[in-house]
Amino acid sequence: MNPAVEVTSLGYCYPDGTEALCGVSFSLMPGACVGLLGPNGSGKSTLLRHLNGLLPEKPPADGNVRIHGEAITAENLPSIRRRVGLLFQNPDDQLFCPTVEEDVAFGPRQLGLSEAAVAARVQTVLVQVGLAGQDRRATHHLSQGEKRRACLAGVLACEASILALDEPTSDLDPRGRREFKALLRQIDATKVIATHDLELVVELCARSIVLDHGRVVADGATLELLGNEELMLAHGLERPHILQHVHPHHPHEAH
Amino acid sequence: MFAGGPLQRLPAALKLSAALVIIVGTVLLPVDWIGCLAGEGLALMLAAVVSRIPFLILIRRLAMLLPFVFGVALAGMLNPGGGLDWRIIAAKSTLCLLTVILLSHTTPLGEVIRVLQRLRVPGLLVTTMALMHRYLFVLADEAGHMRRARASRTFTRGRRFAWSALATVLSRLFIRASERAERIYDAMCARGWK
Repeated sequence: MNPAVEVTSLGYCYPDGTEALCGVSFSLMPGACVGLLGPNGSGKSTLLRHLNGLLPEKPPADGNVRIHGEAITAENLPSIRRRVGLLFQNPDDQLFCPTVEEDVAFGPRQLGLSEAAVAARVQTVLVQVGLAGQDRRATHHLSQGEKRRACLAGVLACEASILALDEPTSDLDPRGRREFKALLRQIDATKVIATHDLELVVELCARSIVLDHGRVVADGATLELLGNEELMLAHGLERPHILQHVHPHHPHEAH
Repeated sequence: MFAGGPLQRLPAALKLSAALVIIVGTVLLPVDWIGCLAGEGLALMLAAVVSRIPFLILIRRLAMLLPFVFGVALAGMLNPGGGLDWRIIAAKSTLCLLTVILLSHTTPLGEVIRVLQRLRVPGLLVTTMALMHRYLFVLADEAGHMRRARASRTFTRGRRFAWSALATVLSRLFIRASERAERIYDAMCARGWK
């Protein structure tokens, strides 16, 4: 079976010369849930943008990123973007339509579905994310937690099999975080979660990758990595308190 | 948008067509039909009253747009032919603005945009309008945040300082808006925008 995501020696420099990624390699099997950790500016968001083909500006011929065995090229970009759903860090960047219904329908409409099929899909994903009956609400009137869920609905509506989530819980209150975590747990997809929320990583991700200065500095079992205080502190992270309450041999609710 | 009045309950398509007819009619009205203009003004005010739009709000919105009216009137006044009466121009422009304000306060913009889509107005124009409507609130929020942040660290009453600080805020707002535009475009591409 092909890996869902395969990244080989990926490097990227921003136009201003900042080296954001350097020699990044890893692969994820379908259904995996991986935490992408690292300090601010370590290249997490840049890496996620590569998975969806937003970066580099022109897809290279050699293809450092493969999705289900297929290298990203200019020709297959639309199909890659349908398969890899990207959840942006700031929900206001992602909710660009006036109402929830229109925003969630944006992806399916781009796919050329009939209006009836679009409406059915919108209703299904709104129920899935717990926003049933909120379709006519203005996106700018939603609470932060609702905005996050609406963003996720927009991504799920494209029926993506891989989700790249950029700081999905960063601006949520504890209840919002709890609910969003429960929601992510239910979604059956390959997930890459870039986050500083180490509790979320412990609860959802069996494996973690630590990035720093655009390089992979550690890749392995979440509990092992997060339990390594020296490693955590060296890369702007910390050993989460939740680890004190997790049994080292039966740690995961996630798979 | 104010809820509850009879105008609010009318279909958006009807209101949009009525507004268009009123505006075009006002523009085409012969200049000496002053009675008609006065009657139209009264009718619009009556519509505002039955729509329960507070008079003060109406005046405030109008006052915000009046500089443009005076600009147009001034252009008429300085017209070398001298045939254009600047007062008629000012009255006509004010009536047109009043119509647009009434429409915007009785019809959610989302509905207006849907009507425009149905009327097959070019997609790019409709998308631009929808995006503008969506992000005006976000930009206003951002401007408010920056204004408060500036006020919290402003310890002088110097007017020159206030103007230069305002210029800084505006330039920052412009940069933030353009960066946000790039992120929104990315978000659109990520969901299949072609």
